[in-house]
Formats: sequence, C-alpha cells, structure tokens
Amino acid sequence: MRSANAIVKKQKLRAGSLGKYFYIFILPALVIYLIFSITPFLFTIYYSFTDYTDLNPIYLSFVGFKNYSKVFETPVMLKAISNSVIYAILLTGFQVILGLPIAVVLDNKFKTRNLLRAAFFFPAVFSALIVGYLWNFILSSSDSGLINNLLHQLGFGTFNFFTANRALYSVILTQVWQWTGWAMVIFLANLQGISKDLYEAAEIDGARAGQRFFKITLPLMCPSVKIVVVTGLIGGMKVFDIIYSMTSGGPGDATQTVMTVMMKRGISDGFYSTGAAFGVCFFVIVMTISAVITRLMGKWSDQIQ
Amino acid sequence: MKKKVVSILLSAALATGILAGCGSGNSETETTASRESSVKESTSSEETTEVSTAESGEKVKIRMTYWNSEDTVESLLNYLAAAVPDVEIEYQFIDNSNYNTVVDTQLSAGEGPDIICESPASSLKHAKLGYLESLDDLGSLYSDAGTSVYSYDGSVYALPGISWFEGIYYNKALFEENNIELPKTFDEYITVCKEFQELGIAPLAAGLKSWEPMLKNSMAFVTAEYLSTPEGKDFGEKYRNGETTLDGVWNSYLEKWSEMITEGIYTTDMTGIDHDQALDEFATGQAAMFCSGPWDLEAIQSKNPDLEIDMMPFYGTQESAGWLIGGPGCGFAVNSASENKEAAMKVLEALSTVEGQEAFWQDNQGGSSYLEGADFELPTVYDGAASALEAGNVYCPWNEWGDAASAHETYGTEMQSYLLGTQDLSTTLSNVDAAVKELLEK
Repeated sequence: MRSANAIVKKQKLRAGSLGKYFYIFILPALVIYLIFSITPFLFTIYYSFTDYTDLNPIYLSFVGFKNYSKVFETPVMLKAISNSVIYAILLTGFQVILGLPIAVVLDNKFKTRNLLRAAFFFPAVFSALIVGYLWNFILSSSDSGLINNLLHQLGFGTFNFFTANRALYSVILTQVWQWTGWAMVIFLANLQGISKDLYEAAEIDGARAGQRFFKITLPLMCPSVKIVVVTGLIGGMKVFDIIYSMTSGGPGDATQTVMTVMMKRGISDGFYSTGAAFGVCFFVIVMTISAVITRLMGKWSDQIQ
Repeated sequence: MKKKVVSILLSAALATGILAGCGSGNSETETTASRESSVKESTSSEETTEVSTAESGEKVKIRMTYWNSEDTVESLLNYLAAAVPDVEIEYQFIDNSNYNTVVDTQLSAGEGPDIICESPASSLKHAKLGYLESLDDLGSLYSDAGTSVYSYDGSVYALPGISWFEGIYYNKALFEENNIELPKTFDEYITVCKEFQELGIAPLAAGLKSWEPMLKNSMAFVTAEYLSTPEGKDFGEKYRNGETTLDGVWNSYLEKWSEMITEGIYTTDMTGIDHDQALDEFATGQAAMFCSGPWDLEAIQSKNPDLEIDMMPFYGTQESAGWLIGGPGCGFAVNSASENKEAAMKVLEALSTVEGQEAFWQDNQGGSSYLEGADFELPTVYDGAASALEAGNVYCPWNEWGDAASAHETYGTEMQSYLLGTQDLSTTLSNVDAAVKELLEK
C-alpha cells in the first residue's frame, strides 16, 4: 500500500502533468522573457525597415530594405562580421584542441593535479577588462611591455602585436589563455563520468594510450565538446569587452567586431535603423551557425550511439 | 497532514517576510523622502512641486551632467552653491563613451538633465531637435570664437566653458643637455627629431593605439598650412555644407606632414603603445616630446616630479607663433523641457561672471575663458605655448564640421591605416569624406 502511494506521489510530480500550476510557474519567466527579449527584438526588426536616427527619433518612415543594403555596402560592417567569425572559430577551436588534452592529463592522479587545475582555470575568474588591461602591458611595443622588454634585452628588435594583420590574433591569444581553463573544467567533468572499466577492458585487449584516447575518450566526450563549441561560437561572435579594453577596434578597423561596430555606428553615431538592420543580419548569421553546429554535433552523437 | 501544517506555516512565514520586506521598503522610501525634504528644507506638503518651492524661496534641485569627473568642477560647484544659494545642483558624471547615448535617450523621452554639458556637435544636434533653450542674452557676454561653435540658426544654445588645447610637451633638460634648439617651423621640428634619433633618444612618445594623436598632429599642420590662410578659412563651412572634400584639397598638406612617418618619428610599432604607456615614456625621460594638454600635466608631474617640462605649439612650414589644437572644452546648455529653467538660467548667469569663470578655471588651469574680461595667468609650464595662445592660434578643425563632427574619429582611425600602409592617402581621405557625407545626409 505504501509503495502504491509513493508511485502516485511520484506521478503527480512528473513534468508535463502539473496542470494549471504549470502556467503559474512559467508565467513570471515568460513575462520577463517577452518584455526584455522578444519585444525589443521585434522592435529591432521594425526599426530596421525605417529611417530611425538620432536626428529623426519620432516621425519614422518605411524605407524597405535600404538599411540592409547599406549593411552589405559598408566595408567596416563586412570586416566586422569576418573578424567576429574568425575570432569565434579560432577561439573555440583552440579551446577544444588545448583544453581536451590538458583535461585528459589532469584527470590522472599525481601530486600537483589540483594546483594545476586551479592554475589553468584561474584566468577565467577575471573580467575581460582586467585581462585586457593586463595583456596591454604584456604585449605593449614600448620598453615597459613585458615581451618586448625581454626581446630588447636579448638583443632583438621590437615585435608589434598590434599591426593591421596581427592585432586580431593577439586578442585571440589572450582569450585562449583566459578561456582554455574553463573548457578544461567542462571536459574534466565529462571525463570523470566515463567508466574506468572501459579503459581496463581496452588495456586487457592491448590498446595503446593513443588508441584508448581516440576510441574511448574522444567519442564519449561528445556532450562536453558540444557545450564548449556551441557556447564558444555564440559567445565569440558576440565579443565586445576584450576588444574594447585592448584595441577599441583598432588600429584602423583591424579588430572591429560586430558588437563594436554596432555600438559605434548603431548607437554613438546615431544610425539606429542601420544598426538595427546589422543586428538582424547578425542574428541570422549566429542562428545559422548554431543550427549547423548543433546538427553536426547531433550526427556525431548519433554515430557514437 | 503534518506536511500540510508545515507547508502552511512556511507559507505564512514567507508571506510575513514579503510583507515585512515591503514594509521596510516603504519606510526606507519615507526615510529617503524625508531626507530629501530636509535637504530642500521643505516644510510644505509632499505634493508641492519644485517650481512652487522656488517661488516660496526654498532650494530648487537641478541636475547637471558632464563627461568629466566631479573633481574637475569642484571649485565651480562650490562657487555656484554660494553664488546661487536657492539652487542645489546635483552633479551627474556620465562616462564619455556613453555620454551622448545616455543624454540623447533622456532628451528624446522629454526628460534629461536641466543643465547639459555639450560638445559643439551634440549641441548642434540638440538645438536642431529643439531640446535646448536659446541663450542669446548670456551668449553675448562671450567672444564669438567661443559661441560660434555653439550657434545654430543665428542663436547661441550653449555657453562656452574653459578652453582645452593640445600642444607638444617637451623635456627641457634633454633639449638643453644636447644643445638642441627649439624649432620654429615644421622642417626644423623634423630636424630636431632626427637629432634626437641620432643621439639614441626617442624624439616623440606617441600612443598610436589610440586614434587621437595622429588626428590632432596632422590637423594642426593642416591648420597652420591651410585652414588659417585666406584660402582655407572657409573650408569648414564648405565642408559641412557638402561643397568640398578632404580628398583633393588636403592631400598636398598631408603629404608634406607624412614626413613624420617617412622620417621614422611616427612608427608602425607605436600602434602597440597606448596613451598611458606613451606618457610613461615621456615622464621617465625615454622620449623628448609628447603631444598632450593640461589634463595630463598632473599625471606627468606625479610620475616624475623632477621633470622640467614646457610646451611648444605645432608649426607649419612658415615661421609663425605656432598653432594649438583646441576649442571650448564644453558648452553649458539648458534643457528646453526642464521644469526648472529659471533656476538653470540663474546658474548660467552666475557662471557667466569673472568669478564664475575663475572658479571653473581653478580645476582646468592652462585653458582660457571666452567670457569678455576674464583673463587668467597662464601657468609657467605653458610659457612656450604662450605666443600661440596670445595670437589666438587655438583651433579645432572638426568643430566646424557641423553634423559630421563625430567623423573626426573616422579620420583618426583611417590615419592609423595610412600609417600601417594598408591604404594610400587618397583612399584615407576619401573614406573620411564618405563617413562625413553619410553623417550630413542623416
């Protein structure tokens, strides 16, 4: 009798059978989401078809796709999209390529394991503004720059990290340093969930370390890789703070990203409607990339199963 | 049953907590309100408006926004508190990078500060949109050089504050020890830089990670060579009316100025140095010169109190008193939608006195006042720039660009690309022209 009661109670708590309570519980989050997310987004779409600027904030006229064509005719906007995509792909790629082996190594038992885990994760604790300020000094071309000071002492010339061709990659370097530890933690959590029996069985069958990594570890790491890749790509596409603190989009337009251009042209310069169109285009790009990645990851996941 | 009782008790506790929370919030509001009312020394009912408070001789609270921190106007605020005792000024600092966005949003909602510190570009925009009150009477107390950049359609919409200027700080000891004469022309300046290079001393510290240094340096040269001449005097007006372009007009001057790059004074390595690092180089004696203004003097002197510095102006190819880049630091405007216009006007009247200007100058020493009859002694550290200041050779070319004034940032970033060799001069200038055109057509 007691067990039957327990089953009934369990069924009552099951998701999907909450009845009217479901709507009551969902309402606060739904209202906040509608007000602060969906409504502004719909307004953004609306403004992207108008002539809304700081000089024309009230009497708006419909201008069709004029703002969208302007987005594709403005070199700095195209450069910003390209920079954002390069930034997102490289940062995410390095996070996975470096984070995964580090996690595998730090999953083994040795004395300094916890210390090293903390050391690798530590940079992720700081805000991007502090990291930007710090790396500005490390990478500076002046004699006070840590790297260039060392180079000068060794008799080499100055290496400028902030030329038109290098600046973006210098920023990416700092972000790889900051966020690889974060990816490592996600991978570690996944690794600890993989049964040791699989490795023992493989060892008995004579599998070498490399084979064990590629045949057991890597396929079973799919869930964590998926998290790191999807969040890394979306977050990378939206990068703003580190660019703002390190280069402000310069030199020239070398490190302009979607968000820095949107802030400058869409808000500071008062081209609100062009900024809105740029935002909508960006949304479509991010959504497409996310969909492709999710599908690819899903296929990988299916193959493993 | 037992669980139900527990849950009822918990719910009751939660509800009590919420009510208590609301209660304390209310009492806090009341406390704040009473605190505010005590500040206003108001004894009338809560419904009393600030206007009627003013009428009854009580303090009126007005809000003033500015992009500089409060310590840059501390003396002014103290003076105004004494000079206009019936008005209490709530000073609001808004960071420069967000200033226009925040103020624009507030003004477009029919709200905003009562007194707004404006740049020439923002005052023009706000005047066009009808957000600002005309200040013709008070404006007549100031010189045309100050009010012209804050005028629209024949009326003055902001009162010019203490001017800002930028010249070239130089290390006096390095010049004297190496027997290097101060330059009087651009060519002499290049020679001086070469002499320092030969001695193994960096001639100029420059944080070219920022777009500002090359903007100001190159525009100062164009000012000396062209914009201050009879042929170039109306360039700004023509440019803001879309009747001329930089490309085709400025090229020859900037080609000459490009000796700053070809002679290795501005180098591509400098795009890896920011403003503070360049200031450090100059303050620690690693570089002989540094382009900046009064706002950096304290930082330079605090880093190296023994450093003897002076300032020289920028020069053209002909010998002259030299030129400084600068203009009115900020313009004080009154929000036309303000409910406390009368109080705001009183404050601006107090500001438009010699005493008011002196109080503002106290925290902005080095700059000068545009108010007729308000002359202040120039600190000795600017002796070398005195002749340019006396000649009135302080000019900010982009202040003349009207609605396109914000394109000066584009000019600076395009010049960075020019320095790095990713584009030629003509492309650089035509890109600025395109940005200006877009802003003018907005």
